Formats: sequence, structure tokens, C-alpha cells
Amino acid sequence: MVAINVKNLTKKYRVKVKEKGLTGSMKSIIHPKYKEITAVDNISFSVKKGEIIAFIGPNGAGKSTTIKMLTGILYPDKGDISVLDISPTQRRKKLAYKIGTVFGQKEQLWTHLTPYDNFKFFGAIYDIADSDVEKQIEKLTAIFELDDFINTPVRNLSLGQRIRCEIVASLIHEPEILFLDEPTIGLDPVVKENIRTLIKQMNKEYGTTVFLTSHDVGDIEKLCKRIIIVNHGMIVMDDSMNNLKYNYLNKKIVEIKLKEAVDFSGDDGITVLKSKSNNLKLEVDTCKKSISDAMKLIDADNIIDINISNVPLENIITDIYKEGRHIN
Amino acid sequence: MKKYIFIFKTTIMDSLQYIMNIILGFVTYILIIFIFLNLWQYIYTDPEKLINGYSLQQMIWYVILTETIWFGTRNGAIISQISNDIKSGAIAYVINKPYHYVIYMIVRNLGEIAIKFFLYLCAGLTLGYIWVGRIPEFNPIYIPLIIMILISATLINNFLTMSISLLSFWIEDAAPFHWIYVKILLILGILFPVEMFPVWAQPIIRSSPIYVITYGPVKLIISFSREIFTSVLLAQVIYLLGSFLLLMGLYQKGVKKINVNGG
Repeated sequence: MVAINVKNLTKKYRVKVKEKGLTGSMKSIIHPKYKEITAVDNISFSVKKGEIIAFIGPNGAGKSTTIKMLTGILYPDKGDISVLDISPTQRRKKLAYKIGTVFGQKEQLWTHLTPYDNFKFFGAIYDIADSDVEKQIEKLTAIFELDDFINTPVRNLSLGQRIRCEIVASLIHEPEILFLDEPTIGLDPVVKENIRTLIKQMNKEYGTTVFLTSHDVGDIEKLCKRIIIVNHGMIVMDDSMNNLKYNYLNKKIVEIKLKEAVDFSGDDGITVLKSKSNNLKLEVDTCKKSISDAMKLIDADNIIDINISNVPLENIITDIYKEGRHIN
Repeated sequence: MKKYIFIFKTTIMDSLQYIMNIILGFVTYILIIFIFLNLWQYIYTDPEKLINGYSLQQMIWYVILTETIWFGTRNGAIISQISNDIKSGAIAYVINKPYHYVIYMIVRNLGEIAIKFFLYLCAGLTLGYIWVGRIPEFNPIYIPLIIMILISATLINNFLTMSISLLSFWIEDAAPFHWIYVKILLILGILFPVEMFPVWAQPIIRSSPIYVITYGPVKLIISFSREIFTSVLLAQVIYLLGSFLLLMGLYQKGVKKINVNGG
């Protein structure tokens, strides 16, 4: 079952261009000049029901613009969108009943009210019967462990507690799709982990489709089975997390502390990333040279310490951003 | 409908946090009334004399009641929030809920001014009674009609100020337009009754929103007549429809121009 289907989606912005200084400001009043920016450039993808997908990219890549078009906030210039078989631009209100959104940098809660009053408010907004709202609040309060602060005004909550409440407010109407735009931004590692666990639990228990954008590799790695990478408004990669790791984990990082320096320049398959006195950081391409062959280049007695690790996902993603290459 | 009642209720709960801010606003309110009380007492050398059909008592009550409408129903926070939301793109995060944004903002506005208007009305009635006695010729039988006219006046004022805020879809800053609107309302509709202005200006003022927002409703309170009621009601129906259509039209056109950068 397809939850989201996007075909040839394009969105352009017209941005005012102003020349430098006061003269430029005066000119822009009389003859304003505009330039067109393509925020989303002819992208197509689909998301299955119950999937947790990461939709990531560097700043200005077009992630949030895409989410806003998927939720009916922005009107696309070209292309078709279908979310739960509803066109977001034509039936935004109908779609709103079926989706939930959390924008980590924007508050949707009333800060002077308690989380409980906020949840009641959202229940009313989504036309849910009072008794059902109470049941839903009870259920989500238990899952998200809100008992200790459910009657404390939102303005007095910590950021982590507030984000938990934001997510609960988005789930009060049991949405089929949850759009999370940087839900863990600014949170400490413990709270981040807690939120990730809760999102996973919710996906497992209710089959909620999760569409996540985040700059936090931890969110992506721990939550998502599929990843779409966008850059300059285009999809540069759409693949499963396993494939991504498999394709890129042929490279290993070897950090060695040696008694005496060894020269690796000219060795095919070995790239010296860092070299400081007798400390080396190498990248070994295992397709060209196995780790054991690479190790044979160093006398075992010369090694003081060694550490072999995979390339961090963060580096992989950064490389993909930089290369901007199309895998799919 | 139920959701909008809930929004109204929630806004009242939220605005109860600002009671002290409202009470602090009484300082300017009382000061203006006090200045006009002294001004009119000075102008009316003979308290029995009528100026342009108004006795001293009626004149003071006119100022008190128009001031009450002005202070009690103005809501800078919501008005500037709409403009700021449009300019910053934050409107995108409010409109993705299953309600109509314009009606949501109207109801929020009404919720925010409900308590404020009630407090200003209590303060105004108390001050007026202490300073000049009861409202002459006032008959409590007309209270339901006056309440209806006051609610319509508030709605028209709401629709017009919100329409000005929605101009932010096209212009950088709607604040100067708000400033002009508020000052025209203050000078021509609050401090002096229409009859005090030159004869040539009176038809203009009577056909402007001032007639249905401040002058008309207050005129009904201080000297109710069936003719004035019919005339104000008719004008309010026209303005209600016109301003609502303007507001909806601006929103429908503007919402397609939402430009959300960043993220």
C-alpha cells in the first residue's frame, strides 16, 4: 500500500535581488529585480504505508519545501502529489485529519496552557469526541511518560519534555502519516534516544508511516530503513539503509600508532587521511586491497596501537552531498 | 462549529494569564477619559446647555463608551501576529490544521478581547457613574439590541484590521496601514461625535466604518431611537458582508503566495 506518491514535483521561488548600498536600495524600489530559485526540481518518489523514511539533505536542499508541499501548505509549480490518495493542494483540510506534523523549530502548543489542556484543544480541532480524547491522552501519556508534567504549563517544561508533548499533540488524532521535521534538534543525547525509541514504538504499535527530515545522523541510523538524499532540489540518492551501508562500508578507517614512520604513498587502495609524526589515519578501500594485505605492509613489531572502524554514516552522507551523484 | 467554540474557550483560558497587562492598560484609558472630562466641563459653561444636540452628560458618556470600545477591542498582538506570521513564513505551521485559518484567527481575536472588553466596560461604567451619574435616557430594555450591535461592530473592526494585516502577503510591512486606520478611528470616531465635525465632513464619516464601529453603537446607548437603530443595523449588515468578503478574498489570493524559506 502506498502512503505517499510524488511525481515530477517542482517548486520555484521568486526572490528579490538588490544591488549593494543605498543606490541599490533606491533602484530596487523603482525597478525591482527578481531571480528564480528552484527549490525542488522534478523529484519523484513513493513511500509505503508503515515505512519510516529519512528525507535528508544539506540546508537549502529542498527538504522542508517538499514536506510543506506534501502537507498542502505550499502549492507546487509542477507535478503530482498524492498523500493517502488525497491531493494535498486540493483537499488540505481533509488531509489534515489523517496526518500529523512536528516541526522541531516551531511550537504548536499554547505555552500558557498545560499539556493536558493543549491535548484537549487538539482533540477538539480534529473533531474527536471528548471520551475518545481522554482515552487517547491516557494512552499517549503512558507511552510518552508525561505523567509528571501533564498539568504543568508548557512554558515551564524543558525542551525535551516540550518536544514529547509536541509529538503527542500531533498524535492525538491517530494520524496515518507523521511528518517530523528535525524533531530532535537541540535535545541532549539521552532525550534524543528516548524520542527515537518512542517514535519506533509508535510505528510498531500503530503502523504509523513516518517521514523524517533531520540533520542528526543518529535519528536516521536508528529509525529509518530507507533514505532519500536531496541536494539542490534533486534526489541524489534513494536507497535502503542496508544498501547504503553495504555500498559504502567497503571502506575502512585504520588508525595506527607506529614506532617508526611507514610510507604508504603510491599504494593502490590506501589513502592517507591524516599523518602526524608516527600517528596515521588511513582509508582502506577493501575492494582494491583487503585489510590483511594492508596490514602486511606494516611490520607487526612496529605497531604500538591500532583501531579499525567503518566509515561513519555522517561522512558517507557528507560525501554524497558533495558528490551530488545519482545512485538511483 | 464545536471546534471554534473550543478555540474561543482556549483563547480565553490563555488570555487570563494577561489580566495584569490589561489592568495596567487602564492607566492610559483613565487618563484620556479624565482629560476629556475636564475639557468638556470647561467647554460646557452651562451644564444644561446642548452642543450639537449633546448634553454634557451625554458627551462624557460618548467619550467613555467609545474609549471602552477602542481600548477593549483593540488587539495588537493578534494583528501583528498575522503580519509577522506571513512575513516569516510561520503561517505555514498554523494553516496545516483542519480549520479555516481566517475563522480561526477571528475566533482567537474574539476570545482575546472578550475578557478585556468586559473589564474595560466595567471600569468605564463605574467611572462614568461616579463622574457624571447614570446614562441619560438609557432604557435597559434595549440592552439585547445594543449587545447585538456591539458584537457586529467588533466583528467589522476585526475583519478590517485583519484584512490590513493580510496585505503583508504583498507588501513588506502592513504596520503603517494599521497606524493610519487606528488614528482615523481615534480622531474621527472616538474623541468627538460626528456632529462636532464640519457639515461637509459628516456624510463622509457617516458612510465610513466609523459609523458602524464606534459612533453608531454608542449613539444607540446614549440616545436610542428606532431610526438610528435601523440605520446602524443596515449599515452594519452591508459592512459585515463587505469586510468579510474582502478578508476571505485577500486570504484566498494571498495564501497561494506563501513563501517558506529555510529548513
